[in-house]
Amino acid sequence: MSSHVKRRLVLGGLMLVIIIVLTLINPVFLTMGNIQKMLQEAAQTGIVAIGFTLVMITAGIDMSIGAIIAITSMVSINFLTYTKLPVFAFVPVTLLVGVFAGLFNGFFITRFKLPEFIVTLATKGILSGLALVIAVKDSMGFVQNVYIQNDSYLWFGSQTFGGIYRTTIAFLLLGIATQFFLKNTKTGNNIYATGANPGAARLTGIDTDRVVVGVYMFSGLTASISAIFISSRMMTAMPELGLGSEMDVIASVVIGGTSFSGGYGDIWGTMMGAVFLALIKNGILKLGISPWVQPIVIGGLIVVTVIIDVWQKKLGEAIRTRARLRKIGPTAKAA
Amino acid sequence: MDVQSRGMQGEARSREILLSCKGIVKSYNGPIVLDHVDFSVYRGEVHSLVGENGAGKSTLIKIITGATNRNEGDIIFDGKPIPLEFSRRDAQAAGIACIYQELSLIPGMTVAQNIFLGKEPLMRGVRIIDKKAMNRMAQDLIDRYQFPLKATTIIDDLSIAHRQLAEILKALSDKASLMIMDEPTSSLTRTEVEMLFKIIHMLRDQNISVLYVSHRMEEVYHLSDRVTVLRDGKLVDVLERDRISPAEIIRLMIGHKLEEKAVHHRLVPKNGPVVLEVRNITSLGKFEDISFDLHEGEILGIGGLVGAGRTELVRALYGIDPIDAGTVRYLGKPYVPSVQKAIASGIGFIPEERRRQGILPTQTIRTNIAITNLDVIAPRHVTSRKREQELAMDGIKVCNVKPADPLHLVGNLSGGNQQKVVLAKWLVRNLRLLFIDEPTVGIDIGAKEEIYEHIQRLAASGVSIILVSSDLPELTRLSDRVLVLRKGRIIKEFKDCVLTGEKILRAASGITEEVEDEA
Repeated sequence: MSSHVKRRLVLGGLMLVIIIVLTLINPVFLTMGNIQKMLQEAAQTGIVAIGFTLVMITAGIDMSIGAIIAITSMVSINFLTYTKLPVFAFVPVTLLVGVFAGLFNGFFITRFKLPEFIVTLATKGILSGLALVIAVKDSMGFVQNVYIQNDSYLWFGSQTFGGIYRTTIAFLLLGIATQFFLKNTKTGNNIYATGANPGAARLTGIDTDRVVVGVYMFSGLTASISAIFISSRMMTAMPELGLGSEMDVIASVVIGGTSFSGGYGDIWGTMMGAVFLALIKNGILKLGISPWVQPIVIGGLIVVTVIIDVWQKKLGEAIRTRARLRKIGPTAKAA
Repeated sequence: MDVQSRGMQGEARSREILLSCKGIVKSYNGPIVLDHVDFSVYRGEVHSLVGENGAGKSTLIKIITGATNRNEGDIIFDGKPIPLEFSRRDAQAAGIACIYQELSLIPGMTVAQNIFLGKEPLMRGVRIIDKKAMNRMAQDLIDRYQFPLKATTIIDDLSIAHRQLAEILKALSDKASLMIMDEPTSSLTRTEVEMLFKIIHMLRDQNISVLYVSHRMEEVYHLSDRVTVLRDGKLVDVLERDRISPAEIIRLMIGHKLEEKAVHHRLVPKNGPVVLEVRNITSLGKFEDISFDLHEGEILGIGGLVGAGRTELVRALYGIDPIDAGTVRYLGKPYVPSVQKAIASGIGFIPEERRRQGILPTQTIRTNIAITNLDVIAPRHVTSRKREQELAMDGIKVCNVKPADPLHLVGNLSGGNQQKVVLAKWLVRNLRLLFIDEPTVGIDIGAKEEIYEHIQRLAASGVSIILVSSDLPELTRLSDRVLVLRKGRIIKEFKDCVLTGEKILRAASGITEEVEDEA
């Protein structure tokens, strides 16, 4: 418990230092507008990361989230271009795209006992191809950039009171709800148990396969939700939208303290991780450094965090063994 | 400890049978592991199950807990017959709990969450866990049994002993009436063992039966109301309270039959030049103050119970684990063990658990033999297929590996042939010293004999060997001298005498000479 509280404090402190330094260098950084933009960016990644966190707690990984964002936004664009359906009617359908993708992942992982990485990577390939296939084309057959003019659809990505983006609010609400769900329901407990010790979980009567299918469906759902917000905010969508976003999402979750080996982590951490990442990315821009540096920094951050986590665990173990040795020492001599 | 504190006398307990097994037969594709074994546990007794390695203890436990199914025989638990198809979940539901070392707990969760996993108390009308109630109920349970635990502690922050207590609590909350503890004390400190014993007594007072499996005779002696002894898959005897003594148990475990044959062995000293000189070496928490000389062509056996520090000792001498204090001299020169140096200077190591440490199952015999001999095959870093093939053929011939096909995958060989490949890896080199840890676990008798011959031939050619084994006939038969370890120290050296398995087991169990004379 204490170790991950400490971790939060360190992360929070680090964020504070970064904010202060950046503000001193470039005062634009701390303006309301920039903060809103930063939070909105954190929210776009963060919404996906919330679903991804659940997958990682079960010791899985979902490489298909980027492609789910792509296919979901293409489905939306098709509805907007070719139908007169109201937004409230087709958005639920687009969200189902992600849920089905997750079901597909979960089904192959549990039924055929395939590695998560391979299944979701295959899904990624399938869905990103499908996104291109269903993209709106011009008469020459080239993918057309459709500008979204539907006001109700644009509502999602727009700002509300105090200039706060609705994406940010959605991120906050979804985060709170998911955290509560994880920590206060049976299903939440089962998710942790499945990741930490699947054998013991099954023995206690938990249907771990159902849990696994469930988390991939949820991960697909959050990716689809994010797709709506991103496309609405950009007022357009390309079939490449979201591809490559796995990296930011994984970085957020890992920086937030969720363990790759499963069983540990929560949504608070992931939300902090997403904000931290947005801060770093925004900082790079505000310092006038080329945006191409961003992925380099993010990749580096993932490695550094994982190293710290592994060290921490080893250090804790070493301390514990040493304490035990002190206890065993005299008894062994007496014997 | 005096007799009074050894718990209630058998007569005072009820004689209601909780678990009754009759004529249990189990074979794993061929060899019979349990041969018509009868076994019963009374309600509210501490019952120990003892036997040498391979006697069938763990198989019997697995059958009772539903981890595997019997071929024949009837089991009645708590008045109800147990069907042939019986899973671990069924066993749990019936009230049979197995206390593993932390195995069935969920790390990252609190004690309360673990106890109530799968049966969490919910709030009225909503599907939300009532955490307050859950923690309170868990704490009530803890207080009722006066366990030194807190409901809200996270499992990761508990010592192994306390995790076991959490498992016991979980079983209690499932209303288990039989708790099986398999070597529960193997990694506990002395105070922790005392705490566990107190709790076992408390469980018995609550009319819960405890089935205790341990190699440690003194624990069996202190705790048990009755002891069942198995040998070679057969029931030997059931000892009542007044007949339980460590010496008697060991006598029954070893049996007379074996004593006439291989177990009887005259140790003849070998006084060649000293190859390895070990002085006062210590590895914290593993072994302490170990000194001995190893002579040329000598087979030095290392005996002792599981956890006595035998494997740790050879691993440290081979250079895998560090040595904290003491000195080692090899061929007369000071020597700090390291694996690279060992291989370069003619020291070999055959580890226990061949599947995990000894072989690369997905590779061919040729590759497996080549991998430790790359210095010969690839002196300039490029492997020579021709040398590799020669070496592999050499090894196959020397050790009589079947099939004699260097391209055969090692994973597809029988256990005995796998072990021969491991042996061959080293035999094709010019060895001076070889460490061998449990060479014949899970190997059929024919292959065992062949491996013994190889080891003896190796020693005859001047190679010094340190042999760790829990197989007593093996140890007595092969060794020229035997050191017995107990709790990380050398407790006894057998040399130039007639050695029996019983003597080794007595020393390993810490039974002093006086008791021995008495018996």
